[in-house]
Amino acid sequence: MQGAPVLEMRDISRRFGSTQALAGVSLRLYPGEVHALLGENGAGKSTLIKIMTGVHQPDSGQILLDGRPVRIGSTLEAQRLGIAAIYQEPLMYPDLNVAENIFIAHAGRGPLVDWGKMYREAEAILAQLDVRLDVRQPARGLSVAAQQTVEIAKALSLQVRVLIMDEPTAALSAHEVEQLFAIVRRLRAQGVAILFISHRLEEVFDIADRITVFRDGRLISSAPRADVTVEQAIRDMAGRSVEQLFPRRHTVRDEVLVQVRDLGRQGAFHGVSFDVRAGEVLGFAGLVGARRTDVGLALFGIAPADQGTITIAGQPVRITNPRQAMRHGIAYVSEDRRGLGLSLPMSIAANITLPTLRRYLNPLGLLRRPAETDTAEEFRRRLAIRAPSVEVEVGKLSGGNQQKVMLSKWLNTRPRLLILDEPTRGIDVGAKAEVHQMIDDLAAEGIAIILISSDLPEVLAMSDRVLVMREGRQMAVFTRHEATQERVLAAAMGQRDAA
Amino acid sequence: MKAKLRRLLSWEGLLLAILVLVAAVNANLAPAYVSLNNQINLFQLSIEKIIVALVMTFIIINGEIDLSVASVMGLAACIVAVLFDRGVPMEWAIVVALLAGVLCGAFNGFWVAYVGLPSLAVTLAGMIGFRGVARILIEDRSIGGFPAWFTALGQQPLIGPFPFSLILFALLFTLALIVLQYSGVGRLVYVIGHNAAVARYSGIDVPRLKLGLFIASGLVAALAGVLLAARLGAVRGNTADGFELDIITMVLLGGVSIFGGTGNLAGVGLSILVILNLRNGMSLLNVTGNVQTGVVGMLLILSVLLPNLAQMARERWQRRAVQRKEVQTGVETSVSS
Repeated sequence: MQGAPVLEMRDISRRFGSTQALAGVSLRLYPGEVHALLGENGAGKSTLIKIMTGVHQPDSGQILLDGRPVRIGSTLEAQRLGIAAIYQEPLMYPDLNVAENIFIAHAGRGPLVDWGKMYREAEAILAQLDVRLDVRQPARGLSVAAQQTVEIAKALSLQVRVLIMDEPTAALSAHEVEQLFAIVRRLRAQGVAILFISHRLEEVFDIADRITVFRDGRLISSAPRADVTVEQAIRDMAGRSVEQLFPRRHTVRDEVLVQVRDLGRQGAFHGVSFDVRAGEVLGFAGLVGARRTDVGLALFGIAPADQGTITIAGQPVRITNPRQAMRHGIAYVSEDRRGLGLSLPMSIAANITLPTLRRYLNPLGLLRRPAETDTAEEFRRRLAIRAPSVEVEVGKLSGGNQQKVMLSKWLNTRPRLLILDEPTRGIDVGAKAEVHQMIDDLAAEGIAIILISSDLPEVLAMSDRVLVMREGRQMAVFTRHEATQERVLAAAMGQRDAA
Repeated sequence: MKAKLRRLLSWEGLLLAILVLVAAVNANLAPAYVSLNNQINLFQLSIEKIIVALVMTFIIINGEIDLSVASVMGLAACIVAVLFDRGVPMEWAIVVALLAGVLCGAFNGFWVAYVGLPSLAVTLAGMIGFRGVARILIEDRSIGGFPAWFTALGQQPLIGPFPFSLILFALLFTLALIVLQYSGVGRLVYVIGHNAAVARYSGIDVPRLKLGLFIASGLVAALAGVLLAARLGAVRGNTADGFELDIITMVLLGGVSIFGGTGNLAGVGLSILVILNLRNGMSLLNVTGNVQTGVVGMLLILSVLLPNLAQMARERWQRRAVQRKEVQTGVETSVSS
């Protein structure tokens, strides 16, 4: 089935701010071939997909369809060219029925809908996929697997030639995965080119004809499946360069501060057990969908655990809301600064005192502004928050300074356990180094720290121990010396000690 | 210079300008307008609504709405009247009416804060339900003949020329201003109104604050209903019917965003003055009530439309500026993996 490629990406580069998301990547997709794309979080896979589907434009490079250069300006244009993508969470119109969802992109052909014809065609397409589904059933209530099938049918109705599948199996059961793969094989036989992205290596090696590995926005290797081993793929994905040496002056103390045993929450994660000592940085590593944030949210009481035990300083505790967590000395610094972490129209001072507002009230419940300003000024100095005054709106600060305000807000609660969720995501290199320095300083003061980060070199460099999760399960805990990029990645991808 | 200009262009500045304009036109066309009696009278005619507008300001800044206030006013008025009619001492009748207001507020607050239903739906149900209870209590009667001290609450001068209700409003306005702008609760009202998730992730008991606000709303509405009964001297099943729209108009025209998070009592105070003076001027000029309502309605539409249009214009302008910058430097602002 080889011959000429349908879609060729030639020397594509794309930069976002200071991040080079893609650097000179070339890729060919052939009809009737399943091409798997592997890579860590941030390796550039998503950016490539977004360029293929017209969401982003490349800074440089060429896209060729059937050997002719094309410009893909929007998802609509991509669809018209026969390029479609389906995602882990399909985008359905829940109140429309299956047939309407399949033909939604055909709307606008005229004022009237030929319902009979639409149902017949929808049934024909589903039959082509060998799928049994009532086309008159509303999309609401369909399983994720069924919704994905509808998305695939929708792509077929548009004469798809390149189908991109981004983590399509993440939310499926083993049986549903088999059914999906049957459909994929049928599409392959029909000559569709498929770009398949998954963090599950077994699946990739099961379905792919060719395996390509990305790292740091570059194409590291690309070879037919027969020529690649699991170990080889993991080695190619790892080995990210560590840009600088992180500071490390803190020492772990003997006192076990937090002891977690068999922690779980229905539908999110289960069987998570670990200790954190005073002055220790415990890294949480894992790929997208590993459910690390859910563990943090359980400890902080936002989404309380329903299984297992938490012991703090020798006392068993139950944490069902954030106030209880705060009373036990737990602070959680959210990964979503703008959506969950900071009140953007409020001042730096108001944000820093928000969790501890009671300390800044007089007996009548009125704000003691001078005390509030003093605290804010203290943190502005200590964390070097760059702003003309503590009365500045937080929404007007840079990402790095917002991150520092968030840290100040939680340090002001005087935590014993500080949970940092992606503390350096989306901030510039300088601010990142400052945050790393701060983490080290805090650990040196004896604060226990859980560091959730998708930046593998960061986790490895900062942590005393690394806990690896995968799809809601704890895969391994490595000491600082055991934790290599290969081992952590292998665990994160479900390969027990592959390296 | 720029800051000064912005201040003049602010919503409060605009309201102040409109107020001065209205007052000037009124004074020119109707000499009676400037008399102290007329000024007091202008407040008195709407005193119950403007008292409720104070607590409605808190509710809307908090990102909610309470459509049931007028029904709570009516219910409180009916309870006072019916209990008095059955021989209950007036003082006790008032206490029961206020308690009923607290219960109504707690009912709304429970569904909104602890069950998470939208306040628009819950208080719409409350609006119909509480009015229904009021009508069942009073049936088709009109009950009056209240004791003299009670009717005096709404009309008779208490200190100098100022009646009790007006003094009460002044006190409540001061209290609301202090709480909203200078207290911890006021700070939380804004934070939750802008983004309740941020408050929750900061360990703040969001449901408790929302419940508290709805209870306050019920209590104040009941108090206003009692005052209304006192001023009118008689109560019927439709007492205070439709007041909620005037009350919400006052708050929105005051620059409080219907989406929550922004606005202040200075703006609401000014908007109350604008509406009252506008209506008063039109009354003095013998403009009919229907036309008056139309004019206030136009004002409301403008008040909702203008800030949104300004926002859209600003965003478009900013986007253009960013695009220009991008073209110059070849850098985009968003980051993705």
